Amino acid sequence: MKETSNKYLIIALLIGIVFHGASIFFTLESTYDALIHLFFADHYAHSWFEPWNYEWYTGFTVMSYPPLVHQSIGLLSMIGGLKFGLFTVALISIILFITGVYRFSLLITSNRTVAGYASILAVFSSSFLETLHIFGQLPSIIGISVLMHALPEIYLWLKTGKRWYLATSLSLVAVTVTSHHVTPIFGMIFFIFPLIGMVIIDVSREQVNSMKEVSFKLFLNSFFKLFKRIITFGISSLAIIIGCILPYWINSKNNPITQVPIPHGSRDNFLEITSSGLVFFLIPWGILLILLPYIFYRYFSKRYIFFGLSITILTVLGTGGTTPIPRMVLGETAFNILTLDRFTLWASIMSLPLFGEFVYRFVEGDLKTLIRAKFGSVYHRIIGGILAGLFLFMTVFTISLGYFRPSQPKKIKMLPIVNFLNQDDHDKWRFLTLGFGDQMAWLSAQTNAMTVDGNYHSARRLPELTTRPIERLENSKFKGVAGIGSLQQFLTTPEKYNLKYIFSNDKFYDPILYFCGWQRLRQLENGIMVWERLNVPPVSSILQKDDVAKWQKIIWGILPFLTVLIAFILNIQMLLIHALKTRPKKVPEFLKHSISYSKFSKSILKITHLWSIILAIIIFYGIYQFYLKNDSQRIPENAIMAYYDALDFKEFEKAYSLIDPESDISIAQYMLEISVTDGLLSSYAKLDAIETVITSRNDSVATARVTTEWITPLEKINRVDYKSLSKHHNKWYILPDGLDTDLPPDQLYSNNTTSFFNQGRRRITTEQTHHEDVLKQPVLEVLSAKLVKYNNHYAIIGEVQNIDNVPADVVLKGTLYNNDDKSLATYNAKYHVKHKLLPKESSAFRINFEGIAWSKIQDSIPDTFNPDEFTPIDLDEQPTKFNLQVAGNVSGSDLYKNIAISNLNINDEVINGNLFNSGIQEVTVPQLLISYYDENKTMLWVDHLFIKEGIRQQRKQDFEYKILKEGKVKVINDNMENVFVNGLPNEPISNKIIPNRIENHTNAELQRINHTDFSYIKIETNTYIGSPN
Amino acid sequence: MKNIHTYISFFLIVLMSCYTTGQNNEVTTDFSLETTQTEFEVGNLIELKFSTSREVTPLLYCSSSYGSTLITPTYKNKQLSYKIPSSVSNKIGVVRWKLIFEKTSLSGTFIIKPKEEVSSIETYIGPPSIEAGGKDYTMLVVIPTDSLDNPLSENTLVQAKHQFLNSEINDEIYTKNLIAYKNIYSQKESGRILVSSESLETNSKEFSITVFPAIPIDFKISASRPHDYADGNQITTFNTSTIIDKQNNIVSDGTYVTFFITNEKGNVLKTEGSTINGIATSKMIHPDYETQWSIKAYVDGIAESDVITLNYKQVIKDFDVVFSENNREIIIGPLQSFMKQIIPDGMQVKLLIYKNNSLFKTETKTSFEGLVTFYLKPDVYTKDTYTIVVKTAGIEKTLNSKTLW
Repeated sequence: MKETSNKYLIIALLIGIVFHGASIFFTLESTYDALIHLFFADHYAHSWFEPWNYEWYTGFTVMSYPPLVHQSIGLLSMIGGLKFGLFTVALISIILFITGVYRFSLLITSNRTVAGYASILAVFSSSFLETLHIFGQLPSIIGISVLMHALPEIYLWLKTGKRWYLATSLSLVAVTVTSHHVTPIFGMIFFIFPLIGMVIIDVSREQVNSMKEVSFKLFLNSFFKLFKRIITFGISSLAIIIGCILPYWINSKNNPITQVPIPHGSRDNFLEITSSGLVFFLIPWGILLILLPYIFYRYFSKRYIFFGLSITILTVLGTGGTTPIPRMVLGETAFNILTLDRFTLWASIMSLPLFGEFVYRFVEGDLKTLIRAKFGSVYHRIIGGILAGLFLFMTVFTISLGYFRPSQPKKIKMLPIVNFLNQDDHDKWRFLTLGFGDQMAWLSAQTNAMTVDGNYHSARRLPELTTRPIERLENSKFKGVAGIGSLQQFLTTPEKYNLKYIFSNDKFYDPILYFCGWQRLRQLENGIMVWERLNVPPVSSILQKDDVAKWQKIIWGILPFLTVLIAFILNIQMLLIHALKTRPKKVPEFLKHSISYSKFSKSILKITHLWSIILAIIIFYGIYQFYLKNDSQRIPENAIMAYYDALDFKEFEKAYSLIDPESDISIAQYMLEISVTDGLLSSYAKLDAIETVITSRNDSVATARVTTEWITPLEKINRVDYKSLSKHHNKWYILPDGLDTDLPPDQLYSNNTTSFFNQGRRRITTEQTHHEDVLKQPVLEVLSAKLVKYNNHYAIIGEVQNIDNVPADVVLKGTLYNNDDKSLATYNAKYHVKHKLLPKESSAFRINFEGIAWSKIQDSIPDTFNPDEFTPIDLDEQPTKFNLQVAGNVSGSDLYKNIAISNLNINDEVINGNLFNSGIQEVTVPQLLISYYDENKTMLWVDHLFIKEGIRQQRKQDFEYKILKEGKVKVINDNMENVFVNGLPNEPISNKIIPNRIENHTNAELQRINHTDFSYIKIETNTYIGSPN
Repeated sequence: MKNIHTYISFFLIVLMSCYTTGQNNEVTTDFSLETTQTEFEVGNLIELKFSTSREVTPLLYCSSSYGSTLITPTYKNKQLSYKIPSSVSNKIGVVRWKLIFEKTSLSGTFIIKPKEEVSSIETYIGPPSIEAGGKDYTMLVVIPTDSLDNPLSENTLVQAKHQFLNSEINDEIYTKNLIAYKNIYSQKESGRILVSSESLETNSKEFSITVFPAIPIDFKISASRPHDYADGNQITTFNTSTIIDKQNNIVSDGTYVTFFITNEKGNVLKTEGSTINGIATSKMIHPDYETQWSIKAYVDGIAESDVITLNYKQVIKDFDVVFSENNREIIIGPLQSFMKQIIPDGMQVKLLIYKNNSLFKTETKTSFEGLVTFYLKPDVYTKDTYTIVVKTAGIEKTLNSKTLW
């Protein structure tokens, strides 16, 4: 019999390559994973045999992920660059997937036309689209595709026992495992086990006349007959799975993943978190949801019974946290490590052959006949149109999901950053990106500079990272307390990680950077702001690495490609025969079990109808609920919610549309009022929670108490607002609030300031230390320093002054010791110091000793966000001494001092006051440093207050500070023997400049307060200016 | 016991001397150094020649301060000649050599001397900034070097020159241990010292040292304001006198001065400034109530000013409070200033609402066209009787038992 080309497959391939090939250029780079694979590929391109990578975290091994896909991209990058490699491999994966589905369908249905239909449907399958165009999981796609190619070979080996098929199937399993490790392991369970079952049933079936006669006894007999082949395949494939990526397994054993699980949407309850339900359930299933009855009916027929069981388990596991079953089946650990979306992907792929079968029967088979006979041909056409429409809608919707809900920030031009890192030895320090999304991997691929962050969380090593459920520091604002808490530690003690540069693509982080002592360097031409921290030593030239044996490196470098080569040689022969039709090929064994599509089950048609109606009802109900929730003016609660949402996302036009039209505020006026408000709350806050209580309501007016929680990078803000609403034409509107009417004294005024500019080097040279151009470190003096204990945590407090003639950036680093001079903890001053001091300016400071938050009791991580939350370090021993190292560096930035305390009202509990901005810059976040003194005017404690609102030029801003209730401060040690400035002892160096210091000079000007433990306070001001002009 | 020790040591000494004498005897038989010169000028070809009795080519071990090397000879007419490589002959210092062949060993030293010329002057100076007053100094280190980058010989004359204000000083210093140095002390004035050096008619480049003024001494302050009314809307500017150090230098720009203002209530207000040409300026908004300020400025721990006092006169004498809308709307005003003009927008009015004699809530608003309107929302202020206190411009008005409904 001469075999003709399968035109359906050819069409599928042509459409697939054109459709996906054209669209990957717009989607792939903004997927979650593609750029990570690109980074790995870049690693292989540069050091093929060296698995250690220094660029991410503090070094990690690429042996933590199967290498084939990365190595392929890396190899191809030698021809046309990394992106060329990426897109080529993506195209290959598309071809592999379509042909894989064809072969798998052929194996299952034994019908070439059906398999052809399935392959066409596979091109547009929403789960494949999502995996490729949204997630970018190339290794996973290649893994499952090659596995599908392997299945017919495995079937043939089990059925015929020909060694050739064992070789081909094992060669394909090897390729699978070198591209993705999870696929063959679970593929064994969910694809190969059912396949073995199917072979046994087929063998049994051949011994009797009909399927009905296949009994359990016969099945068992056949099983024992095939037992040797099954075992041979089982053992050898296990050996291959272990052997081909042996270094991976060794690495997993040596460095087990001991980190706090990172939340993943696929583990959510899909009914509660509907966005996860959409992405991890609705989209991958897509139109298959309608066909579920048919798919289950077919897979639970005798021949496919094991596939039936398998797809049932996959479906259930894919539901994530919606039902408790996946957690029970997988166990707590596996549930928290695995991403469950892969189960849904496999279930949908397993459904594809039957989807093809259904469509075949619907378009030209018995189903068509049945429907036409029962409901007429018009109905058939309508149903066909609806199904096709839904299918195409899902396809278009899925591929453009990234357009509607961008998962990544806008594409960032990396070249200016790469150039910056190459300049002036900037790559001698580690850097950090903020707000880059997965594009940080692309930056890493382009530069040799190292970052403390990374984008492959399984490889993290620093305890500061592994104890947090965050993937990257980079997007820490989305990860609540844990995220910002983790980031804070890196920002406060950057010298520990040699972290000097931060590229910020998100204004949100600016205040935290400033108050942790960072300064703006400049804005790059791509809009990225570069922040810099002074006094950070460069990365040492010799870095620690976990080396592995040479044989492991060789295996890792050679085996993956060897498996591809062997698989290619073994399988190409068949393919050539197949393609060129040089000689007639024997009909493969699995084609002998085709069924005739002559009588479509009426009951299944009925059930499918019923199921579709149920689905339609659910969907329409869901849409209705969505409408109710989102119709912003139907009830007062919605109006308030929509108004705050609009403010949160800075959609001021939308917010304005909710303002009562009768209040006569024009949009210009409204926008003006909004635009003049700056500050922590209006510029840097993210709405975290909102609760609206309608306190009174009648037909036309309502009042509401709105309790909002806002996340800012510095602290959590709780607010209670009272809003009035009114109803016009069945729509609720919000009444506008009053405005601060303060008029500044002057319209135009001048202000003289001294500004500084540090050129760095005067001569353009790459010479490291051109000694003429090295500035002297400014001399600082620590006026007082003591170790105190307050509220069960230890801190070093005191005062530091810049006694030099140039402005200084101040870094304070404190170390605690016990009586035996054992160092217990080291930390830097964070918020409680003015990091930039003018000549002769002084600042109170406090160094907190923060532990790695929540590292002890992992379960107690709070759900809600509080960036200001403080985790005192857990000290085993009593600290009794301290060492304070102060370093000054010349810095001319952030020296705005034009904030005055213009009014104060003090009672026993609170201090009310006004700040007045007399300068020419708008202060975005004012900060107060409040020092407490006892009766003898000895400093006891330092506290801070961030004021939520900014201060415009020549305006006043009131503040309220609650005086600390608890006042028991124990001074443990006030010996200043171990205080050093720029590495020199504090006292001699200060005696040289100020021999006759007036001790406690400004103590005469301390503010008296009424408090049982404290007698005086001092208030200092510090300012963050968001956009200096 | 002691005797035994003496014997053993004596025996050892004898033994060792025999050994060394034996060696010397053998050397003379085979090789002898023919080169007599022991001092060479750096950069010249240095060749050590040995006569030998046999045709052998032993290696010469050669060690200088930069490292050691082995040299292969050329043999010609019973003469071995060793060319010292330029890596050794281009550096000044003592070179030790040793010739070892079988049991013979011959050793010696020669000295490579620097050239008597200066091709460049290596200069280091630091710190780059010092304080005026004559105590602080910067150190100039000069290393005259020859064309092969070798320091010149001891006691080479170096002229250390520096210019400050009107003086140009030329000091003669001599190199010792390869370097010449000079401590340059600051003078009373601040400014810039330019430094250079010269040796054997070669001059260094120019270096500059900043002399910063010393710490400030006490100073005076003054205040200026458009009027002396407490209208809360004008700015009082404080200036310091020119702040100088004890040598009369104006302190460096940016010196930070804090102005502490103590008002009649004993509250300490604060404003800050930094100097330009010695004068620090700082601004403060007028209070909005009658008060007296006493102001003193500090450079923390170093210097302070005199105390000046300023009086601010009350502008708002009285105001009306009108209740309407079930006593929920409260209109305060008109607020009038000293010429009976409407007070500029932004005068703060505080409403303190007491319920059952305890403070229930505080509302703050700013005036607009002389009026402030409060609306007590029924959600917050339920139907009840409240005592309302209106505070503005230091005036307090208590309105007892107002019933809201």
